[in-house]
Amino acid sequence: MESIITQFLNGFSVVAILMIAAVGLAVIFGVAGVINMAHGEFIMVGAYTAAVVGQLGGNTFIAIPVAFLVVALLGLVVERSIIQWIYDRPLETLLATWGVGIILQVVMKLIFGPELYYVGAPKILDGGFRTIGLLPFPWYRLFLIVIAIIIMIITYFVLFRSDLGLKVRAVRRNRTMAGCLGIDTAKVDMIIFAFGSGLAGVAGAVLAPIKSVSTTMGFPYAVDSFMVLVLGGVGSLWGVVAGSGLIGEAETILSFIYNSVIGKLLVFIFIVLAIRVFPKGLFGYHERT
Amino acid sequence: MVQNRQVYKAPMFPLWAVIAAVGIVLAIATYPFYGAAYVTSLLGKFLCFSIFALSIDLIWGFTGILSLGQGVYFGIGAYFTALSLKINYAAVNPTRYGGTIPDFMEWNGLTELPGFMVPLQNLPFAIIAGLFFATLLAFIFGVITFKRHIYGVYCAVITLAESLILQEAIIEYQAYTGGFNGITDYGTHAQINVLWLILVVTIIFFIIGRILTHSRIGTILKSIRDNDTRAEFMGYNVANYRIFVFCVSSFMAATAGAMYAAWNGIISFLDAGPVFSIEGVIWTAVGGRGTIIGPFIGAFLVKGSEYFLSGKLAWTWQLIMGALFIFVVLVMRDGIVGTIGKWWSARKKRISN
Amino acid sequence: MTNILEVKSLTTKVSGYTILNNLDFSIQENELRVVLGPNGAGKTTLIDMITGRYKPKSGKIIFNGEDITGMAPDKIFVRGVSRKFQVPNLYETLSVYDNIMVSLKGRRKVMKSLLGKVTKQDNNRIWEILDFIMLAEKAEDSVDTLGHGQRQWLELGMLVASEPKLLLLDEPTTGMTKDGKEKTAELIEKIALDHTVMLVEHDMDVVRQIAKNVTVLAQGQTLAEGPLSEVVENQEVKAVYLGKGVLDGT
Repeated sequence: MESIITQFLNGFSVVAILMIAAVGLAVIFGVAGVINMAHGEFIMVGAYTAAVVGQLGGNTFIAIPVAFLVVALLGLVVERSIIQWIYDRPLETLLATWGVGIILQVVMKLIFGPELYYVGAPKILDGGFRTIGLLPFPWYRLFLIVIAIIIMIITYFVLFRSDLGLKVRAVRRNRTMAGCLGIDTAKVDMIIFAFGSGLAGVAGAVLAPIKSVSTTMGFPYAVDSFMVLVLGGVGSLWGVVAGSGLIGEAETILSFIYNSVIGKLLVFIFIVLAIRVFPKGLFGYHERT
Repeated sequence: MVQNRQVYKAPMFPLWAVIAAVGIVLAIATYPFYGAAYVTSLLGKFLCFSIFALSIDLIWGFTGILSLGQGVYFGIGAYFTALSLKINYAAVNPTRYGGTIPDFMEWNGLTELPGFMVPLQNLPFAIIAGLFFATLLAFIFGVITFKRHIYGVYCAVITLAESLILQEAIIEYQAYTGGFNGITDYGTHAQINVLWLILVVTIIFFIIGRILTHSRIGTILKSIRDNDTRAEFMGYNVANYRIFVFCVSSFMAATAGAMYAAWNGIISFLDAGPVFSIEGVIWTAVGGRGTIIGPFIGAFLVKGSEYFLSGKLAWTWQLIMGALFIFVVLVMRDGIVGTIGKWWSARKKRISN
Repeated sequence: MTNILEVKSLTTKVSGYTILNNLDFSIQENELRVVLGPNGAGKTTLIDMITGRYKPKSGKIIFNGEDITGMAPDKIFVRGVSRKFQVPNLYETLSVYDNIMVSLKGRRKVMKSLLGKVTKQDNNRIWEILDFIMLAEKAEDSVDTLGHGQRQWLELGMLVASEPKLLLLDEPTTGMTKDGKEKTAELIEKIALDHTVMLVEHDMDVVRQIAKNVTVLAQGQTLAEGPLSEVVENQEVKAVYLGKGVLDGT
């Protein structure tokens, strides 16, 4: 039982990772209605950015804003060149962004070579403290949890407490009407896509120290993020919190009891059954169509 | 009022298409007698891939559901068949240590065939079980999701996750699946009669596909794809139609997988995974979704160029694949066959005016 | 005469707002009933409830003596209720002919349509309907080549093809020219000769052309019911429309 409790605590850092990885995707999907299949590769680019920052002598704290800017810019380019033409065809957006993901992998491999990169955690976050059961809980995991909370709060303020947020929500509720009221919906889409991409970059930057950085590291995070969206829904940020919370905890504990594959399988079955009850996710919103 | 008025309807099997098809079939069927063995082995594979692409086309191009996990069904068909072949092969070809069970089982500490795998010793049973299991899984999945109106991107990412999980399960349970290395070395079945069998099955499936999409039910499927709300308020149980097509599609994919396993002589987790699944979607898109011949052309073209160009181009090939995804979405939405078809009908209209 | 449709104390809420409030409503067989009401009165919601798009919070919907409350749309359709949407809802990539063909009565089950063929009678019936909705010349064309009015007619034709017992028409003249409205009204009158029709309409010209019995909804309740001439004189109805001048046709 004690070890289950330890797993439960460990689960919090998994939940935090899921939240960090999924929130960018959720923002884009919630507003623009498209899923970015290159999301994992955006995270990967963020991680490489952190690796570069690390080699230049910076640490994670510096890497976070840099990765945000780099990947937001990347998102902006992808949005302007490809996605802006296909917002009305969400299924095909999946395919086009999958292509973007392939290209990013090749390009990064050309630049950085096939070898893995390792990024150290900031000195101040080395070591850890002891929890119940006297198992060590690294500071960096706690840092991840704090970062996840900060990112959620920032996203909340951007979406719900700013001028931009007002426009974003207007577009989400009724795109045509918002357009009629003089909101430049294309611009809102563009900004949101860049913002969501930037968040993916931040995810990459903070994940780099706990994961070896490679060109193929992103895909599993992308799929996990998709599942968070499906389960949580995109009606509010609580969907991301609830989706990450349920999936992260369930997967950690089930993986501990059985193994990671069974854990994933059970969680998957749970998700599929859950959306039978809540087809729009736990925090979907009612639309009048 | 004039009675017996008709609208023009393209024939089920136009004469030119039948002649072209007979030509292609004869060329493939006789190729092993005069062609290179390497190309022959590719032909058999590509035929399986074209069935796989057709199965995606039925569910996506004609019914409007994008499955990014069709590899699951291909993989199930492939693994049942390959396991059966391997078990039979091992029984008469002892391993280095003299065991009569598949080598990967031995490496993982098994000393005898696990009980639940004993029925797989019977090859016909194993194949049928694989096809049945794949179709059953598709049915269950369809009932759970389609009945609750879960379509679109939700369905796409769920099917994607499904194939990722199957892939991971195959790697994890290596004692039963060969794990990361896949199943290899189970005798060669790349004989001419197997090629003919694959060819016959391909022909049958394409004929079924044509009948299914060109008859009355085909029009209904397209109407559901165009506007499922209207179809529902017109009394069609949209979910049932989609489940039906999904099952047919998965059956086809599993059959393709089974034949692929026999022909190719090696299969791995990649044949059930998300990357392969999405590749199948792109073959369909390149060839022309919503057409029956499109998947065939797409699979042969994309896969063919991969085999002949990827060696020479190395990483550029990857880049081309990535660009291809973007290209078919942004520029050539209707694929090769669809674009030609549009051009042709526009020309006919111009001439008739 | 018997009531083909009875709505009993129907209440429904959408995100906290009461759209229909304890509504009682009924239609007799072979009646042509026009439902009027200001925006937000609950007209479209009423149709949504009858056709099973949304489930009511409380209350009952009886069709042809059977309780259909909360049934799935396709089940309700099979019992004989066809609906026209406010914005024409068509199969965009199919030809006009095929749009009618898939709407023909019967053969809704998967296995039946798998084996079903378009028979000679089907073909004749489709042409009959195409003549009726004045689209015979367009039979082979794809739907996206149709004008707005023609799209509305095609959807009416699809409803007729399904041989329903009750047609629910949600503002079928929206966005039409005066000429188009007149033609559509004629079409609806012809349909009403041998069908029960409930028509939701805003345009008073159209209402005057065809209405006999009128129900006025306001705030989710029936405000007035009866022959058009009487309802127009009703003080409450005038109050609801006050200042709009809709009922005077100005």
